Amino acid sequence: MEQATPPAPAAGATATVDLSPVAVDLVGAHLLPCGIRQNGAAPVSDYFKPRSTGLEVEGVKVEEAFFRGRKLQGATLAFPDGYRGYVLEKKSGGNDTHNSDGEVSNFVSRAEFQNITYWNHDTTPSAEDSLPRCFHWLTVANAMHKPVTVEDLANMSAMQNQDS
Amino acid sequence: MVEAVPMVVPEWATKEPCLMGIDEAGRGPVLGPMVYGCMYCAHSYNNTLATLKFADSKTLKEEQREELFESLKVNNSIGWEVDVICPKDLSAKMLKKSKVNLNEISHNSAMGLVRKVLDMGVLLEEVYIDTVGDPEKYRVKLSEKFPGIKFVVAKKADSLYPVVSGASIVAKVTRDRALRNWVFDETALNMHMKTGSGYPGDPDTKQWLEDHKHPVFGFPTLVRFSWGTCTPFFKDAVEVTWESDDIDEDATNNGSAKRQVKLSSLGFTGFKRKTEEIESSGKGRCKFFQARKLELVKKLE
Repeated sequence: MEQATPPAPAAGATATVDLSPVAVDLVGAHLLPCGIRQNGAAPVSDYFKPRSTGLEVEGVKVEEAFFRGRKLQGATLAFPDGYRGYVLEKKSGGNDTHNSDGEVSNFVSRAEFQNITYWNHDTTPSAEDSLPRCFHWLTVANAMHKPVTVEDLANMSAMQNQDS
Repeated sequence: MVEAVPMVVPEWATKEPCLMGIDEAGRGPVLGPMVYGCMYCAHSYNNTLATLKFADSKTLKEEQREELFESLKVNNSIGWEVDVICPKDLSAKMLKKSKVNLNEISHNSAMGLVRKVLDMGVLLEEVYIDTVGDPEKYRVKLSEKFPGIKFVVAKKADSLYPVVSGASIVAKVTRDRALRNWVFDETALNMHMKTGSGYPGDPDTKQWLEDHKHPVFGFPTLVRFSWGTCTPFFKDAVEVTWESDDIDEDATNNGSAKRQVKLSSLGFTGFKRKTEEIESSGKGRCKFFQARKLELVKKLE
């Protein structure tokens, strides 16, 4: 997950990401509970057939799919406003730049998606799973990194004056 | 599990003591559903049943079985039910984190049929069934579950008891039809149903597996992925690693634990994996990140 910002190779960066190319819109991506040692395209929609179970746990609609003989149960999460998912490809050769850390990797976006379906092997998805909980970080990060405005400062000093 | 259209229970079955036979079809093949079938009738009908040529169902030709199935469907003195267990349910159960072996699946299916027939109100007195595993242990298991019923568990019960032969026809015809009318979940091109018998010695089955293997997805869900027959077709497949295969499978306390360990060590059903190699863990960070498996990426590569 990356916030949609233009690439900015800053000092100390070890990678640049170019999100400018018009990428394929996948709408959704799947996160499987296994390692698949292949890097490349696969006919996902021909073989991987998620189905709604009709089951709903804590407001999460449970889906079902099979992969390599295993039954997976999953849930689809939409990214919050302002966030998008990207499939990145490493650009090879040529214009790699260098800094003190050595080689800088350059990535270019090949596809994007707005929601992610994560799959558990044998366990029903729930709000306690680590992926939905990852979204908490976005709220925390926003609170921590949001620039302090003049109004914020004014409010703060107003509150302090009230206290004293 | 898919169940057949529920049948109305015949009146005699709730008034006269009945006997029932249970048999299976498609336990061994690498593809297609496994079907459990049962047939029941009143004790007083058993002698007539013996004259209906159900005996030795395995030696019958497909058309003869179809004919017999149609005739028993319209026979008012006979009741029957089936339990169709899809190949993907078989694979999924056998590859679960806590694995269920095929004997257990078979026992549960048979017991499910007994329960269903009882719930319909059939006066079951005796049940004849082909054995799965040790006959005596199986008999004890069934008797404990259904204390009011006398169970006769025997090898080759289908050739010994007409009521089991009948059940075997119900099961076999249902499986054959399921395969004939199979609709693939997958939408890949050039799939066909020249599957052969589903046994590894059958050249048609070998060819079918060869035609339908896929380096990433394995096979269509018609195939039972937990079968050893699949293994040789995965020599060149993409390696897939599962967290559940990390669990020490020797701890499994049922009889087929050994077989399952063997399957996974053959390399298809699982590879020993180093979790951290492929999954972020948040290790070394504060609890907030650990609980969410959020790792700080220092270097994108």
